[in-house]
Amino acid sequence: MKISLDWLRDFVTWEGDAESLASLLTMAGINVEGREEFTIALPGVVVAHVRETARHPQADKLTLCQVWDGEQTLSVVCGAPNVRADQKVLLARPGAVLPGGAKIKVSRIRGVESQGMICSARELGLGGDEGGIMELPAAAPPGTAADALYGFRDQILDLEITPNRPDLLGHFGVAREIAALTGAMLTAPALWTPPKTSSERLEWSVEIESFADCPRYTAHLARGVKLGPAPDFMRNRLLAVGQRPINNVVDITNYVMLELGQPLHAFDRGKLSGTRLVVRRAGQEREFTALDGQTRHLDDDHLIIADSAGAVALAGIVGGSRSEVDASTQEVLLESAFFDPLVVRRGARKLGLVTDSSYRFEREADWNMVEKAAWRALHLLQQHAGARIVPDRVDRQNPDRESLPPIPLRIAQVNRLLGTEIETTEAVQLLQALDLTVVPLGQARNRKSGSANVMIEVPSFRRDLRAEVDLVEEIARLRGFDRLPTDPAARGARAVAPRALDKVRRRVRAHLSAVGYSEIVTSSFLAREDLERLGLADGDARRNCLSVRNARLEGETLLRTTLLPSLLRILRHNLNADLDCPLRLFQLNRVFWPGARGAVEPSRPQEDQLPAEPLFLQLAVAGRTESTPAGLPAGLWEVKGVVETLGGLIGWSLEARPGDSEPYGALGRQWRLEEAGSGPVGWAGELDGAVLAGFGIEAPVCVAEVDLTSLPAVLPSLAVRPFSRFPAVKRDLSLLVPDGVTFAELAAVIRERGGDCLESLELFDYYRGKGIPAGAAALGIRLKFRSAKGNLKGTTVDKSLALVTEELAARFGAQLRA
Amino acid sequence: MSVMDEQIARLRAAAEARIGAAADGATLEAARVALLGRRSELTQLLRGVKDLPEAERRVAGDALNRLKTDLAAGLAERERGLALAARPAGAVDLTLPGAPPVPLGSLHPLLVVLEEICDIFHSMGFTREEGPDVELDYYNFTALNFPDDHPARDSQDTFYVSDAVCLRTQTSPAQVRVMERRTPPLSCIVPGRVYRNEATDASHASEFFQIEGFSVDRDVSLADLRATVQQFVDVFFGAGRKIRFRPHYFPFTEPSVEVDMACASCGGSGCAVCGRTGWLEIMGAGMIHPNVFAAAGYAPDAYTGYAFGLGIDRIAMLRWGVDDIRLFYENDLRFLHQFRGAW
Repeated sequence: MKISLDWLRDFVTWEGDAESLASLLTMAGINVEGREEFTIALPGVVVAHVRETARHPQADKLTLCQVWDGEQTLSVVCGAPNVRADQKVLLARPGAVLPGGAKIKVSRIRGVESQGMICSARELGLGGDEGGIMELPAAAPPGTAADALYGFRDQILDLEITPNRPDLLGHFGVAREIAALTGAMLTAPALWTPPKTSSERLEWSVEIESFADCPRYTAHLARGVKLGPAPDFMRNRLLAVGQRPINNVVDITNYVMLELGQPLHAFDRGKLSGTRLVVRRAGQEREFTALDGQTRHLDDDHLIIADSAGAVALAGIVGGSRSEVDASTQEVLLESAFFDPLVVRRGARKLGLVTDSSYRFEREADWNMVEKAAWRALHLLQQHAGARIVPDRVDRQNPDRESLPPIPLRIAQVNRLLGTEIETTEAVQLLQALDLTVVPLGQARNRKSGSANVMIEVPSFRRDLRAEVDLVEEIARLRGFDRLPTDPAARGARAVAPRALDKVRRRVRAHLSAVGYSEIVTSSFLAREDLERLGLADGDARRNCLSVRNARLEGETLLRTTLLPSLLRILRHNLNADLDCPLRLFQLNRVFWPGARGAVEPSRPQEDQLPAEPLFLQLAVAGRTESTPAGLPAGLWEVKGVVETLGGLIGWSLEARPGDSEPYGALGRQWRLEEAGSGPVGWAGELDGAVLAGFGIEAPVCVAEVDLTSLPAVLPSLAVRPFSRFPAVKRDLSLLVPDGVTFAELAAVIRERGGDCLESLELFDYYRGKGIPAGAAALGIRLKFRSAKGNLKGTTVDKSLALVTEELAARFGAQLRA
Repeated sequence: MSVMDEQIARLRAAAEARIGAAADGATLEAARVALLGRRSELTQLLRGVKDLPEAERRVAGDALNRLKTDLAAGLAERERGLALAARPAGAVDLTLPGAPPVPLGSLHPLLVVLEEICDIFHSMGFTREEGPDVELDYYNFTALNFPDDHPARDSQDTFYVSDAVCLRTQTSPAQVRVMERRTPPLSCIVPGRVYRNEATDASHASEFFQIEGFSVDRDVSLADLRATVQQFVDVFFGAGRKIRFRPHYFPFTEPSVEVDMACASCGGSGCAVCGRTGWLEIMGAGMIHPNVFAAAGYAPDAYTGYAFGLGIDRIAMLRWGVDDIRLFYENDLRFLHQFRGAW
């Protein structure tokens, strides 16, 4: 909220400049978001006297004026309808620059020279147009600089008012806070005072349908109102805090709202029907034309103010155009009320209409300010709109409204929370500075004071103070947080063990970044088209996404069930950036599977509406096109190898089972990853070219992904095994293997027949093509034998080897190559 | 052929012979001094050009300068030749770039900061917990003392999946979830992704990261919070950084504060980094509100505790001078690879 320091000085004084005030407020919890200067300066604009007027020879609507500016007579063309001889006006001389940036020059208008411009209030940034140029009082001396009359300098602070402090939504409230912080005197604004006796009756009644919706409603009548511009000080201050001046009556209601925080509404009494206002729910009324001229649709929930012809205002939100104050207004019925915060908030939300008024009512009005604000406005109407106030008035209040009970304050609890040793007297003094009242314990209405040292009564403008902790905060705030102690022996200092999942995560990230993969962080959202592009079948569970119903983002409104689209989007971005391929990326992110959440303790009623949130590891190689030394596609074997290595490090016993399980995988180039005891936990493979093309990617991409939450989060417990120090014996097998026989099958047989001394086997060559019969492949497998007991003899090894080759030939028809 | 021309031709022939004959660096250097040095015949001739008749001056000057350039080039070429000849045949070019076994990858800067902060609190006895991204409105707001339909909810534009379910706007809901399961004393740290239904710009993302921390025991006080925060700042940002507590409002803490740290760029005098205030806001914090304890099912007044929340993105931006939050989510490898050394 913008605060004018000029305005603030009506109520309080402080030491130092705007900056020190800003820092005082900031340290009291009122954050200053901005500081600016506000100036109305009109260089080159002076008071001038229109001596003669004549019709412009070429244009009916233009007037040729002879104007005396205190030094010389200038000839000026004017287009305003209200210009006439012997009038005092504001003249912009050649060289003047108007607030909008327009520079005034001697110019020819329809063939006649004009040596300046007679200005309207709008052109000078002093208000709206009231039928043309601004007319000054006849006594204004020509030649006087406009700055002397209308110039204004002010400093503005933009305050961030937290939702718990509606009392700060007016200048007076901020002044009251400054007074509490500095001990300065607070000056109250001048109010209308009702005369003791009067026989004049208001002749208006107010009926409140439900005191729950509207606990208090006051109405006052001002007669003989003379509409016109508001006084300069008021217009300047309104402009300074970003409000557009309209006319004296409307400006006064806005002014009082910005001053005291209480929204008011002025009805044109002459336009109201009947003599009774009703505060009620809209009921059957469905349409309402607001002051802005727009017709809005109501529903039953809207609270309205109605006369005998229907709604004249949306309670606490906006007035209606039917009873708008305008130039014909003579009598003003002034509303000042207390509307229920929730009712106003829901009404405003439904209309999508947040006004200065609704903003304040939603945060809760100040009960006692309802009448004071009305009286403040009545005083200003008397002063600046010539109004006569009818002493009789309406003030309907909920008779059952309960005042808040005093709050017990235990000084021990203050010190327990703050770590201080504050005395009761100091705490009480601090609270009293905020207009809080200490109730002697004997008189406390609340017998539940328990071990309280004092009972504190809260004024009507601090309804945010409801419990003891709120008072503790006020004490800490006023005392200054910097004066609170820092406990050097802070709690903590308990040894704690990291969780297993965090250890797994740490190891995964360390390993992948060390072998060339870069970690990415991607959005949790995906678009419906992404699911189509992946080619997921109709029944695929991943098509069942939670969707965000009020997203502001375009298109991306689903919570992802797979990480793949986000990965591909980042890959495309990087592939388009001419970086050196292959690109290697990985991510550890959550996906969201509706209805798959397991039991949680304790379970709340709606807990089953939450999705499961498994944590997926996904890694990808893109643009790797070469082959391994064994002649295999390098990218595909890389992702398989990385997952296998990682599994070994973390203690998973992952098995990669060949099989085309994913629609987005290339045929014959996919594995399902399974974990003994956990079932399927992931997938690895090459992505289908058409799917990639759908995401705008031409390079080959190989991916592996693992659901970390479905794997045991237990790192392997290491136990060192003895190892043989005897030399190894190596033998290479060169095999011709018929198609259809897999390496896994061969390896199983080799392990089975190789004997206890077979230490390892390794594929070092894989070849098909020239020199190899069709329907077969050549495999080179290196076997390493070692004994724990002694040197192995070549003949022993050869015997094992013979057993292996025999079995391979018998079972698979695999032949030794010459 | 003029006298000068003959002299130049002779000089050139002799010089080329001498350069060609130089068999090592030292003789070549001696040749350079003799041919181009201050006392060399060529330098003398050049000095004499200004005394020649005007008609010859230009031609002679040009020819001498050409000779000088040619000799310098010849010397350089011979030097390269000698260096090459000095290398044994088939030797490896040792200036070739090294070949590490694998290219380097990198960790994401946001998660580097997140893990580092978790480690610091871990060393102070905080255990790590997690909460769901998709959260009940109850835990995100109601249990944290946000009244239903209250303006305090406006400060956090929320993505809703249904009336009861939203994307968490803060990591704070974990407070109640953890307290429901555990009995104090407890000190926890909860990192995670949070969501705000806001337009994205250089300093706002609709998805970002926070860390929630809280500590609950019989008599935890604001003094403990100050000490804990100061220790964190000392370790993470470096010892001696001043902090201040500024009153603020959060529904789930009372008293509530924002924690500011003295700006490192200007040392507190005010600069563009800190918006000329001399202070940088690093976290929100406060004493856990009794209503939050009540939501967790703790007896009134049985415990006190503090809680704090840090924005990881902002801290990463401060630490590395990142001026646009969107860089973290664009995942351009030219950005990410700059963090290869960050752990």
